Amino acid sequence: MRKFKFITAFLICIACIPFVSKAQVKPVTGTVLDGKNHPVSGVSVLIVGQPQGTITDEAGKFKLNVPENSTLVFSYAGYRNQTLKWNGSSDLKIDLIEDIARLDEVVVTGLSTSIKRRNLANSVVTLNATQLNGVAPSQTFDQALNGKIIGANINANTGSPGGGLSVKFRGVTSVYGNTQPLYVLDGVFVDNTSTSAGLNFVTGAAAGGSLVSTQDNPSGRISDINAEDIANIEILKGASAAAIYGSRAAGGVVIITTKRGRVGKTQVTFSQDLGMIQVSKLLGVRQFTAATAASLARGDTATGAKFALMFTNAQSKGEIYDYEKEIYGNTGFARNTLVSVSGGNDRTTFYLSAGTKDEAGIVKNTGYRNTSLRFNVDHHISDNVKIGISTNYLNTSANRGLQGNDNTGVTLGIALSSTPDFVQLHPDANGVYPNNPFAASNPLQTLALMQNHEGVNRFISGLGLEAVFQRSEKSVTKFVAGGGFDFYSLQTNVLFPGTLQFQNVNNGTSIQGSTNNLNINAILSLVNSYTVSRNLILTSSAGFTQEDGNYNNILNAATHLIAGQSNIDQAGALTGTQFRTQFQNQGIYIQEEASIIDAVTATVGVRFDRSTNNGDATKFYTYPKAGLSWNLTHSGLMDPNGLFSNFQLRAAYGEANNTPAYGSKFTSMAVSNIGGYTGAIIGLQKGNPDIEPERQSEFEAGTDFSLFAGKLNFTLTYYKKNIYNFLMLVNPPASAGYTSQWFNAGDLQNQGVEMSVNARPVTTSNFVWNTTFNFWLNRSKVTRLTTPSTPQGSFGYVLGSYQIQQGQSATQLLGLDGQNGVAKLGDAEPIFQMNTYNELTFQNKWSLRFLLHWKNGGQNVNLTALQNDFGQTSANFDQLIINPQTQQPMPQGVYRITQVGYSAQQFVENSGYLKLREIGLYYSFSTSANSVIKALQLGVSMTNFFVWTKYSSYDPEVSNFGTGFNTNIDVDPYPATKRADFHISVTF
Amino acid sequence: MKKIIINTIFYFLLSGLVVSCQKDYGNLNGPTEENFLTNPTADNLNNLVTGTESGMRNNMGLYLDDVGTIGRENYRFSPSEPRYITDLLGADSSELTNSNFYIVNTWASRYRVVKNCNLLIEATPNAKLVSPTDKAGYIGFAQTIKAYQLLLCLNQTDTNGIRLDVANPNALGLLSFDDNALDSIQEILDLGKISLTGSTVSFPLSSGFSGLNDAAGLLQFNRALAARVDVYRKDWANALVDLGQSFYGLNNDLYEGIYSVFGTGSGDQVNPAFIPQKQTGEVRVANPSYAQDIIPGDDRISKATLRPNATSQGLNSDRDVWVYTSNTAPMPIIRNEELILIYAEANIQLNNFSEAVTALNKIRSEHNLPDYSGALTQPALINEMLYERRYSLFFEGHRWVDVRRYHLLNTLPLDRPGDNVWGEFPLPVSEPANP
Repeated sequence: MRKFKFITAFLICIACIPFVSKAQVKPVTGTVLDGKNHPVSGVSVLIVGQPQGTITDEAGKFKLNVPENSTLVFSYAGYRNQTLKWNGSSDLKIDLIEDIARLDEVVVTGLSTSIKRRNLANSVVTLNATQLNGVAPSQTFDQALNGKIIGANINANTGSPGGGLSVKFRGVTSVYGNTQPLYVLDGVFVDNTSTSAGLNFVTGAAAGGSLVSTQDNPSGRISDINAEDIANIEILKGASAAAIYGSRAAGGVVIITTKRGRVGKTQVTFSQDLGMIQVSKLLGVRQFTAATAASLARGDTATGAKFALMFTNAQSKGEIYDYEKEIYGNTGFARNTLVSVSGGNDRTTFYLSAGTKDEAGIVKNTGYRNTSLRFNVDHHISDNVKIGISTNYLNTSANRGLQGNDNTGVTLGIALSSTPDFVQLHPDANGVYPNNPFAASNPLQTLALMQNHEGVNRFISGLGLEAVFQRSEKSVTKFVAGGGFDFYSLQTNVLFPGTLQFQNVNNGTSIQGSTNNLNINAILSLVNSYTVSRNLILTSSAGFTQEDGNYNNILNAATHLIAGQSNIDQAGALTGTQFRTQFQNQGIYIQEEASIIDAVTATVGVRFDRSTNNGDATKFYTYPKAGLSWNLTHSGLMDPNGLFSNFQLRAAYGEANNTPAYGSKFTSMAVSNIGGYTGAIIGLQKGNPDIEPERQSEFEAGTDFSLFAGKLNFTLTYYKKNIYNFLMLVNPPASAGYTSQWFNAGDLQNQGVEMSVNARPVTTSNFVWNTTFNFWLNRSKVTRLTTPSTPQGSFGYVLGSYQIQQGQSATQLLGLDGQNGVAKLGDAEPIFQMNTYNELTFQNKWSLRFLLHWKNGGQNVNLTALQNDFGQTSANFDQLIINPQTQQPMPQGVYRITQVGYSAQQFVENSGYLKLREIGLYYSFSTSANSVIKALQLGVSMTNFFVWTKYSSYDPEVSNFGTGFNTNIDVDPYPATKRADFHISVTF
Repeated sequence: MKKIIINTIFYFLLSGLVVSCQKDYGNLNGPTEENFLTNPTADNLNNLVTGTESGMRNNMGLYLDDVGTIGRENYRFSPSEPRYITDLLGADSSELTNSNFYIVNTWASRYRVVKNCNLLIEATPNAKLVSPTDKAGYIGFAQTIKAYQLLLCLNQTDTNGIRLDVANPNALGLLSFDDNALDSIQEILDLGKISLTGSTVSFPLSSGFSGLNDAAGLLQFNRALAARVDVYRKDWANALVDLGQSFYGLNNDLYEGIYSVFGTGSGDQVNPAFIPQKQTGEVRVANPSYAQDIIPGDDRISKATLRPNATSQGLNSDRDVWVYTSNTAPMPIIRNEELILIYAEANIQLNNFSEAVTALNKIRSEHNLPDYSGALTQPALINEMLYERRYSLFFEGHRWVDVRRYHLLNTLPLDRPGDNVWGEFPLPVSEPANP
């Protein structure tokens, strides 16, 4: 019924498009060149106030019928817009000037409006295709963002193939709610859910026997997207920019635009990457001797003698193995192929691409595969109506391995932590693996026989329509519609055959999960641009949006399998769960932008939003926004030819919300059966029917200025983000019958600064150096807390835990501090972060690009070292250290174990790092205009090869609990990787 | 210009149509409290009954270890949980703390069932297609179970009190102590009796209620519990009255009664108090005083079977607790042997010694002992009754309560110097004190 109404509205609006009469015209031709006498193709040539326009061809030439007394505007990405009052001549020559500060770059500010960067009231980060994956390829889209966004704290959860990253803009937005941004791909709101494969059933990481837990290391669905198809990304980091997006924009919005076709002869591009992936760092293992082998028996002399004998036997046969290296030392081969076709004429352009990626992991039988097909078409139905379609099919397949925390000794890291180097784990001549006497599993057997597979089939399709239905000298009104759907089917297949050492009770476990998810969104708007006078232009927009989501996950765990089978009916026992969510958000928005003397821009807008996830599903919440931008040089107050070629002041304010977690308004009943009868008993979590969404308000102010004609540009931003009514799970009195309850518990604040310097220090004909330095820091504080403060998110004070406390940082880590009891031992928030992106071009042929990222400070809770100490296999276990209490030397491992329960200092470890994330060297062959090959580029790149850190585990970027509030807990993760690639790219 | 205005109005009218309807998706993943409160069907109410019956078993293994350890019936050795023999026995400077599992978990499980009972009581009147007598059956059952759960909480926290009025989680009642609490529990049982009288039972009950799963049977169950509460309140006369209305029978089977049953089916539980004999590691052994104080020939020694000596932290025992003999063995809620002993106790306190001796001799003869030949004075008979209760109801959760209500805590053996006998548990940390 709903869809019918939509289509009706749509068609009726199109039918109301009037036509505009034409005036006297003359044919005009011209050539557009860049500053160095090269022709520029694809430049948009528009006549102000008219629908006609054209694009320049490969020779930079254009032809257009121009009415008398009209003004022409020439625009092209990367160059300043040029306006030319037509003087009547029939052959024009235009020279474009490079827009180093990208002041004329058009940035999206509303759901259907955009504005030039020099008039922007917010600091919006944009990443173009070169920055995104033009330096080095990334395995998944979210990995391509890492280290590149000012104001963001991006943390890779795991090194497992297939991704899984937490992206937080401007601090934590929520404790229990959503902390991740909204991703919009060509107008489609795409889903980024992480779905567990049910590994907790085998690992027991979260006690209680449930199938799923937050420690199952799933990937997020945003990783499916192919980064190579992306033309640019715009990032709105907080409510002051994202308010217009409503309910899901509290964590910011990432607006992704894929490549569209280009006018001219059809171009075919073929590119191939070939690479190698290796582990970034190994921790090393303890070198045993007969005496230390005996000490593994912890005082039992009979067993100790047995271990010592095992060691001497192994040593005499030369069978001392470094199992860490055997397990993580695989070199994975990666290949990535992309073919794209782009072409069109001035009415229709298309972009078609097909890509396939196959990357093996550093652990055998792990890896990632991705196939992507994309077809984008843009067509002008008439001079006034433009339509665009983006369709994308993705098929991904990831084998993720088995890592992380567990209570059964089966993950590779935990099994390794207690396995010494002198035990024999390799299979015998018949392929039979021996049992591991030092752990519940034989890790070589586990990784050879187990399967943990995620397979996704995904369709993302978007439609955009722009119809101008009123045009006059003073006003242009258009109808903008956009939207689309994101459908995926995720299959998770986990199989532990019965021959595995730890499957002796369950005799084989098969966990099959099937998830279907459909997200649909639509935005319908009216935009009117009214030129009151030369000095005042008003742009009004209004519209409404609707988003629907439908998620259904069925997970079945079968045990006692028939040998060699994985179907859940080929089993003796079966247990299952099902989880469904459904939501609908509706919003109405109004926005007014006033552009005064093209230098002062004031924006005011409001959005009314309601969501079925809120306690009251029919209540509309109000989210206002306002912004002011004053470009002093453009307004004439400052001379643009003076010291500052551009000087801009800006301030913006906005409010957004974060909807409550699904189901937090319900008190569910639980199943409790007896004697064959089915029973319902009150659930342990009390819902809150009055639950309110978490509300965010952000204020941002800043300045941008450029010196030396745009060769040196500065951006400075200060922001303050307040979150009201954040949600907490609290323990009510037990006599109420529940053990936890949702409350809107308090307020939280994030403040920070972002500074950016962009420079072109050298610009000669032979050598160009473009560099950007970014610096950013964030401080959070809990300003109000109405519920009792307890440790949460980790494993308690003994090991180091998060705790929300009034007056303290939201990401503080507390723990035992010896004599001082419980004290603050660290904070997961870095002291500051810096990055630098550099592009050095020699003779227009050689290009060296690199990205360096420095995270200063910030702590992790490192429990990997503790596991290795408990298992007595840490590399430095035997090294002597002076015990400060007794002043006697003792082995480090023993000393560290004695500190457990006395001090958690050793676990809360500084995780600062300096990473040369990406470095690439490219050579572009010069081609003549007549050759078949239009462009040929070769390159080599390295990712993550140089990491300088004092952090003692595999990599400072880690999260045992996945994406969410409590990242930075390290428990035997899949180690991080480094890669080197060779590229070739040919354009026909 | 006119066209713009017309278009704009047209457009907003259309948008008004589309936006006006809004859905509210309920909980897709399971029923909610609200589902049961609004128009419940008989099946919904049956689910609540089964859930209540099933939930009564949660954390009962822990409860028995709690009261059994302090009552010096057993020791619970666990390599991963030393607090069974440090905190519960008061070793050296160990104390019972209010945030530990031994009170937090049991209290939470009992109140969860109380909440379920309150939900059943609130939901039943809203069931449109259920007959009034059936409704009375549901409510009577709920009142009875609710009183029983509150009694188990009071057994643990004693003078620290319990909370009785918990139907509204946003407006919890005050704590109630000692005799006030017991009196209130008795009132709830009386409400249950009123409901059950003349009611009909159309809900399924497990085999733990076999023989007593109709309205008359549930009424007898209710009065049996009332008799127990009467002796706790020292209301001896009413104890005899209530016994008369319960399933008490001097010549009936000692094991007739109401039980929690266990099974291995889907969603079911196994007996949490079952540990196989002669284990190493997780072990439950009888306090040596059990074998030392038993009269030779008493067949109740079979509840503490010989095993290789188990030792931990200065404690020793060579006998396993062997009351629940398989993982599907039932756990008694209340049974005839206890009712016979209540009969004896009430009569002793009312100075009807001959009646008391008859009852005591019944117990003794069932357990291979000769008739009672001691003095016919109240103190002597109380001692004899307490002996019979100790051995008949071994590891069924009674000894500590009995010893405490007769002010004999200081007669319990201290196994190690520095040990203490606690009188009660603290309230769980999440419970606010009365203002």
